[in-house]
Amino acid sequence: MTAPTTTDGRPNPTRGLGAIWFQVAHSAASSARLQPAALVHTGVHYLIVAVAITTLWTRAADGHSGTIVGYRAGALVWYLAATEVTAIAPPLRLIDRFGADVASGRFELELLRPAPALWVRVAAEIGTSLPRTAVCATVGAGLALVIGGAPETPVALVLVGPALLLGVALTIVAQHLLAAATFWLLDSRTSWFLYQKLQFTLGGLVLPLEVLPGSLGRIARLTPFAAMSYAPGRLASGHLEPGWLLAQVAWLAVLGLVTARVFAAGERHLGDGGAS
Amino acid sequence: MTASPSASSPVQRAPGPAPAANAVIAVDDMRRTFTTGRRRRRRTIEAVRGITFTVARGERLAFIGPNGAGKSTSIKMLTGLLRPSAGSVRVLGLEPWSQRRALSRRIGTLFGQRSLLWPELPARTSLATLGAIHGLDRPGLGRRITELGELLEATELLDRPVRTLSLGQRMRCELAAALLHRPDLLFLDEPTIGLDLLAKQRFREVLVRLNTEHSTTVFLTSHDVADIEHVAERAVIVNHGTVIHDSPVASLRRTLLTTKRIEVGLARAQTVADVRAALGPDIGPVMALGDRPADDGMPVDGIAIGVDTRRQAIGAVLDRVLRHLAVADVSVADPPLEAVIGEIYTRPAATAPAVVQSLRDGPS
Amino acid sequence: MWRTAWAQALANRRSFVAQMAVMVVNDLVWIFFWQVFFRRVGSVRGWTVDDMMVLYAVLALAVGLVLGALANLRFLGPLVADGELDGALALPMDPLGFLALRQVSPVSVGDIAFGIGLFAVVGHPTPARTALFVAVTVAATAVLAGFLVVLGSLAFVSGTGGAGDLGLSAIIVFSSYPINIYGGALRLALFGLIPAAFVGSLPAQLVQHPSPGRALLLAGGVAAFGGAGWLSFRLGLRRYTSGATWTGV
Repeated sequence: MTAPTTTDGRPNPTRGLGAIWFQVAHSAASSARLQPAALVHTGVHYLIVAVAITTLWTRAADGHSGTIVGYRAGALVWYLAATEVTAIAPPLRLIDRFGADVASGRFELELLRPAPALWVRVAAEIGTSLPRTAVCATVGAGLALVIGGAPETPVALVLVGPALLLGVALTIVAQHLLAAATFWLLDSRTSWFLYQKLQFTLGGLVLPLEVLPGSLGRIARLTPFAAMSYAPGRLASGHLEPGWLLAQVAWLAVLGLVTARVFAAGERHLGDGGAS
Repeated sequence: MTASPSASSPVQRAPGPAPAANAVIAVDDMRRTFTTGRRRRRRTIEAVRGITFTVARGERLAFIGPNGAGKSTSIKMLTGLLRPSAGSVRVLGLEPWSQRRALSRRIGTLFGQRSLLWPELPARTSLATLGAIHGLDRPGLGRRITELGELLEATELLDRPVRTLSLGQRMRCELAAALLHRPDLLFLDEPTIGLDLLAKQRFREVLVRLNTEHSTTVFLTSHDVADIEHVAERAVIVNHGTVIHDSPVASLRRTLLTTKRIEVGLARAQTVADVRAALGPDIGPVMALGDRPADDGMPVDGIAIGVDTRRQAIGAVLDRVLRHLAVADVSVADPPLEAVIGEIYTRPAATAPAVVQSLRDGPS
Repeated sequence: MWRTAWAQALANRRSFVAQMAVMVVNDLVWIFFWQVFFRRVGSVRGWTVDDMMVLYAVLALAVGLVLGALANLRFLGPLVADGELDGALALPMDPLGFLALRQVSPVSVGDIAFGIGLFAVVGHPTPARTALFVAVTVAATAVLAGFLVVLGSLAFVSGTGGAGDLGLSAIIVFSSYPINIYGGALRLALFGLIPAAFVGSLPAQLVQHPSPGRALLLAGGVAAFGGAGWLSFRLGLRRYTSGATWTGV
């Protein structure tokens, strides 16, 4: 044991937040190895949901000579396989868990660290969802190949990987924004459900946005939910629209900044004795 | 405290140098009020009402008080989690509330009832993540975890999922997490709560070793009198949000921690009078255990003996108990904290003028 | 006993109302999905939006009844795996019945109310159709409950209670879509292995287009999965010795 006066192994205060972010994310991602059963569970769960919804749309397209709502049956299968990844791969019950951590005082302890609590939490959640995303995407690609056939525009498929990661990252940041309500109100479980439903409809999870009635589809496209789910779906269905990646990055920046501001206010509120 | 003999804290202190230059914690008239309830039912609670003390580098200090005395509120203000309503707080030269992040690099914290480790994962994984947050590089982190495993005798515990550990084992892993970044100052909030006797003892030994071998300053809150005796060199006792006593533990032992209580389960029921006769005339007060009326002349199954350790060695009294009584069960206990505090309040003015004076005047 | 469980669950009224509302919103979103879907698609392999509404009404009601009134069935696997049947076995009543009724989740009242309301509004409820609706819902509930007991009883053999969650989500997901869209082996599996067909599509078809063949098929499903549930629990209990069997850490 070295004396504490040596500098060996001492924290390095100049180490950047970026390095911390990647190391936390890496640490969270690699701990998935310790729970392989959970990954299998995620993969099977994804497969069940994806088989049901892709089969439904394939049969629907059958009745319309193979093309429906502007998508050919095969393209629609790729679309749904991608959007479902953004629904199943993000970590479960994030808002619930966050609420419990604030209530139990565990979150407060995270404030006694040299890196911002939100920064670390988002890194850990994204890290955790990386292996889950990889498993779902692999299962999804296999399923899409079998049911939908080869992708129409393989080049567009290259963009699907980053789009899925950005989509999952966006859902994680958005859920933290909703979870921040916990700083002021104690029960945030309902907001989790409502969030899910918004992603379901405005994200085009099972209904491509083109199908939504009236101008709802056009409005939905302008929401962050479209950037979460519809964007990777659109790219996977063979539409070479790299603009969606830009939209995702922009939303990530906007939501990230807003969430950081809300967290800062929430942490001040805690420090003023707001919640006990 | 020589630095600021403010009138608001007329507390008895043992004479002893506490040079401000060497102070890692300097608190002057720290206060905190909370408002609860809504609108018409709004009430203001003064959780901490004017606490002043300093802690020198390398000290082991116990911050003691019953539940609701303001211990947790104080430790939250010292670590920067809570903004003081008034007064000044400096920890390692920083103002905790406004410089919390900078402070967090130099302090370690352990809160007895809140875990920082992920229950499903081995502690080693949690430590790696925490190390990353503290900006430790990988090789340095690996070495540090090995060191801490040895120091805390926890090497084999680090690879088991945390939820499979006993509370005592888990607390040693939590301590490893608190020490990961080699803090100069360690805050522990009720670290021994819920531990069994053996685990408590082991934990206390680790804290003392940490302090003597690595000169880490230890600031510990507790409501367990034994924590004062076995960990601290100095005790600050708080009650109702103010400091009512501040002295080295050695002098505390001479003045306040002077009684022990021996509880004896009797193999054969005896009357209290018989017991007293068997133990001899100079024995301390003997009472029936349980809620029996003081002395109804009926045989009892258990008795308690009060021992004034200034006059009698505890071993000598035990010796007599074992020799003269049919003992089924015996235990020695410290007086509960409430009794110690009661003692502070009732001591004659001659031995503690300041305390008594302040208590008579009531909190300002 | 059942009343006690209700009283306990109702204690926190505000969060109860909020959660129930959330269930109804969840169901409404699915109704929105099917309305939009069928408006665009017309029909899928003979299924129309009307058929789908009846299917969803039966499913919401059956799921609400099983997860609400018989809430513990869902956790049968973990209960078996953790050796927590001892208390139930010591009682002078049927252990399966005791376990099923021991816990209720009143939040599922949302699903139950929604199922009834949906049928009342869009199910064209004539007396005959209503009687049929009630009968097929009872059948669907029985099949779902039987399937959950089979899943839970797997834990007698495997010693882990993990299959329940996946099995439950599988049967609910597959029941929510018309059986006609699935072909081949998957369709067979949805009758014989994960009996989703008996929980959603077949009851709905029976209400929409009653026929003796369908009625017989549904009755057969109830007999098969009700029986399988009962039998697997019986056989499992024989293997079950005590709480310590599976938890010997």
